[in-house]
Parts: sequence; structure tokens; C-alpha cells
Amino acid sequence: MLKIENLKKAYGKYHALDGLTMNIRRGALYGFVGPNGAGKTTTIKILTGLLAADSGSITIDGVDALRERQSMKGKIGYVPDAFGIYDNLKVWEYMEFFASCYGMEGLMARKRCTFLLEQVGLEERMDFYVDGLSRGMKQRLCLARALIHDPVLLVLDEPSSGLDPKTRMEFKELLLELNEQGKTILISSHVLSELNQMCTDIGIIDQGRMVLGGSIKEITSRVDQSNPLMITVYSNMDTAMAILRSHSCVRTISIRENCLAVGFTGDAQDEALLLQQLVDAEVLVTSFFRNQGNLESLFMQITDHEEKEVLLYEGKPGL
Amino acid sequence: MRGNPVYKREMTVSSRSIRVSVIMMVFNSILALVALLNMYSMTSQVRVTAEISYASFLDLYVFVAAIEFLMLVFIMPALTSGSISGERERQTLNLMLSTQMTPFQIVIGKLMSSMVNMALLVVSSFPVFSLVFVYGGIRITDLALLLLLYLAVALLSAGLGLCFSAVCRRSTVATAISYGFLVFLIAGTYAVNYFIWSMAQMGAASYVNQMGGIASQVNSGGLIYLMLFNPAVTFYQIIGVQTGNREVSAQVIQWFGSRSSNPILDAWIPVSLILQTLLALLLLAVAVRAVDPVGRHQAGSRKREARERKR
Repeated sequence: MLKIENLKKAYGKYHALDGLTMNIRRGALYGFVGPNGAGKTTTIKILTGLLAADSGSITIDGVDALRERQSMKGKIGYVPDAFGIYDNLKVWEYMEFFASCYGMEGLMARKRCTFLLEQVGLEERMDFYVDGLSRGMKQRLCLARALIHDPVLLVLDEPSSGLDPKTRMEFKELLLELNEQGKTILISSHVLSELNQMCTDIGIIDQGRMVLGGSIKEITSRVDQSNPLMITVYSNMDTAMAILRSHSCVRTISIRENCLAVGFTGDAQDEALLLQQLVDAEVLVTSFFRNQGNLESLFMQITDHEEKEVLLYEGKPGL
Repeated sequence: MRGNPVYKREMTVSSRSIRVSVIMMVFNSILALVALLNMYSMTSQVRVTAEISYASFLDLYVFVAAIEFLMLVFIMPALTSGSISGERERQTLNLMLSTQMTPFQIVIGKLMSSMVNMALLVVSSFPVFSLVFVYGGIRITDLALLLLLYLAVALLSAGLGLCFSAVCRRSTVATAISYGFLVFLIAGTYAVNYFIWSMAQMGAASYVNQMGGIASQVNSGGLIYLMLFNPAVTFYQIIGVQTGNREVSAQVIQWFGSRSSNPILDAWIPVSLILQTLLALLLLAVAVRAVDPVGRHQAGSRKREARERKR
């Protein structure tokens, strides 16, 4: 549904986006992840028409979003990281103001506002001044505002920042509900554990480029493969070590007391066969499992440039 | 105008604020007090001398007109210079720009709401203005011309405020620059002309001393046309004509040295009104361009491409 190709944006000599390419399928809840300064907000601003790209293309449902900017704004709902609240406006007035920004007036606008305020649980606060709402309520109001024109794509930039865990959970439930109703959602966040739980797809951006993207299942399985097999041996450690050293899928072995962390490149069947081989060789195994996929560790692996540089330095003792 | 969401929102918010009501009350109280004192002094004079000086009723008209002029010039930038930068500070400008509303609609909405607030003030002073009609001396066409000047001045002041509000990130900076530009238009154009005229006089005086001849006629040259952008001079001319000084236009032309008249200087009032309106429209166009980040970037890209093609 959303296709971004070779998107570039530079601020002077600094390249915020350096050929970003990404695809979001219809109905996806897409987690957009990257370290600070990776280009997430720049991408979102270009997508929502708040910034011009230097080159590249964005298409939504096959229509060039960079050329048909005004009509594309009708297809995107945007929730920025800041609330953007007016003093002296009541909740319903705030909603009706944004409804009129999309050309909705009168009864139609009022019905839509009431429906959305009910959906986000603010129907009883319609006559409250916006300024008097709590942080969580303001965030829900912003979400309702972004949905006022029934967009096909909802874009949220760091929506959970500054919210307490309970409010964050409620907000997450709200997004899942919208996703179930068929809304395609692009959410940029730093809370990876949260994205891991709710997103269907994920894209990791670094230095203005997409470094990893795909469905969350695919990515976590790839993460699993890069994690070590943890084997705890009760007795017969020497035999276990001999078997592991001779196995073609074993890359590294590290030992701590009777626990082995094995860098293993094989799939689930190879893991099962290795376990059987150990048991047949009368090695008593008390635990045998692969460390579960963790987006945070993957994110750190991909984006931690300083660590890579240090390792490189250590690998060249003459330097 | 009624369909403009920004205008509707601004009017809702300003109707809740006490600010406009307080300004209106203070302004009309001052006008009413001065008008009543003026009338009291007239009637007291009549009691003593048995002579009615109808000309002094015009002083009331001049005073009320001058107060309104100053108010338009100095209150409009205050109302508008924080309007767009304030949206930026509250982080609501991006929200509006991410909707289907255009930068033009945003600027026009802001402009119309400030103009309507100002019109409220002008209309609320009509009862005091009407006192002049009780005694005569001012025609309805005179008042219409004055209102036309008010409209042009309000547009110029609002255009200034909105332009710098759109260009500057902070409201305080936008307000300071708006007033700076306004002071340049009113006092700066006068000062520049006076300075150049003084320099020319000094130069001419030394030349005359060397030659032993008669001092030649010098003036500030083409800089006199800068004064056409000065709303205070236009106001001075309009009031001068309306209070019976038919030579006011010729006098203004001679302020910075003697010069022969020409069609532009002869038609000072209409030309200055048109130029000030055009300047206001230019400032509003700059504001629209500054609000639209994509349009601004595309213009910059086009310039860069043109430069590269030239190379």
C-alpha cells in the first residue's frame, strides 16, 4: 500500500535520508525503529507533506504522494510526538476545528467527532477544555483527531513518549483495535519490547537507510538463529565437547561451569539431531534451548557502530 | 471567509478572551472623555464670548482620527506578530499543515480574524465620530476616505506582523522586527530623506562658497518616493485636506527641498494608498511562502537548478 523508493533528504552536508526504501502492506501495523538521528522523523515529515524530499518517490495505493500532495493528505492521519493543543478550546471544538480542516462541517462533522470520541473513551469529556485533560487523554484526543477524515494510513511518531505504563497499555490496545478494523498503521517508537508485542511488520532504519525490514515473525526467527544454543550438561562434558567440535553447524563454543553457549547455524531439525547425538553418546543434558529472539539485542547489533569500531580495533593489535 | 477554519477558531478563542473587550473599553473611554471635554470647552467659550467657533469642532475630529490611526498602526502588529510563530511554538502549525488546509487559508484566516477585531474597535468609536456631524464640517465622503486609509494601514500593519511571524521562529523576535520595520516606514523614511537633504545642502553650501554664487536649490532626490510608503504622511495629507488646508500636498513635497511637481507626487493620496496596499499584499505573499515548507524548499531547488544550468 505504501511504497517508498530511494528517498533522499540532506540538510546541508548531513544526509538525513540516504536512499531509504521500504514497503508497507495494507492492514499492517508497521514498527518503524531506529536510533536518534536515523531519519525516522524526517521520513514521517516527508510522508505527511511537512517536508520536501530531495529525490525519490512515495506512492500510496499507486498514487505519487509527492506530486499529489494535497489529495494525499486526505489519506494520511498524523499523530506527532508533541500533542499540539490549543488553549481556550473545548474537546468537541478542537475536534470540529480539525474536521473543518478537511472540509467536514455541520451534522456530519459532529457525528464523526462524537463517534471518534466514544471510540477513544473521551465522550464524557467533550465539554472539557483541552488544556485541562491529562497526558494520556490528550494523546487519545490526538489519535481521534488524526482519524477524523477516516485515513487509510495512520502515522504515529513516538506516541508513547511520556506516558505511564497503564496509559501506554491502553493506547496500545486502542491501536490494536484500529488495526483489527483494517487501518494500516506506521508507528515510530523506541520502546522495542512494545513494538515486538503488537506489530505485524518492522523496519529498522539507520543513517538514513533501511537496514532490516520484514514481518516480525521472519525477523525474530532470524534473530533466533543468530542467538546461541544454551546446553547445560550434568556429566560427561568431554564427550559433549568432542561431539560439538566435530559438528558442522557449530561455529563457537564458550563454557561457563557446566553450561555451554554454542554458536549454532543449523535449523530446528539440526538442533533436534544434535540433542539426540548427545543423548546417544550418554551425555546427561539437563537443559537444551536456543535463546529467544530479542528485538532490542538485534537493534543494538545493527545500530551500535561504536562497538563495531572497538572490535575492529581490538582485532588489529598492531594498530 | 466564514468557511475558513482558522478564522472560525480564532474568533471563538478571542470571543472567550477579555483582551479585545478591555482594549475596546479603554479606547472608547479615552475618546469619549476627550470629546466631552472638547464640547464642554466649546460651550463654556460660547457662554463667555457669545461666539461659536465651528472650526474648533474639527479639532475633535482630528484627535479621534489620529488616535484611531495610531491604534491601527501599533496594535495590529501586536495582534498578528505572534499568530503564526505562536502556532509554531505550540507545535500546532504542523498539525494544520498536515491537513488539507493550504498555507494561504491559514494566513488569510489569521489576517481576517485580526482585521475583524480591529474593525470592531473602529466601528465601536463611531458614536464619538458622529459628534462631528452634529456641528458639520466633515462630509460622509471625507469619512469614507479616512476609513479607506484605515483599511490600507490595517492591512499593511497586519501584513507586516504576519510576514515576520511566519518567517521568524519566535514570537518575541517577530514582534520586535515588525515594530522595527514599522518605525522605519514612519520615522525611517523621513529621517533618510532629511539626512540626504541635509548632506546635499552642506555640499551645495561649500560649492557656493567656492564659486561665490547664489545657493542652488537642492533636495533629497528620488528618496522622496520612499515617503509614499509612509502611512503617517498619507494620514497627514488626508486630514490636512479635510480640515481645509488645500496646499498640504504641495507642502509635503517641499519638506526636503524644493522640487517641481509631477503626476505621481500630485496624486499623493491615491498613489500612496495603492503602494501601501501592494506592499501589504507582498508581505502576505511572503508569509504564505514562509508557512509552506514544501513550497519554500521547491523554490530553493529551482534556484539551485537554474544556477547549475548557468554554470
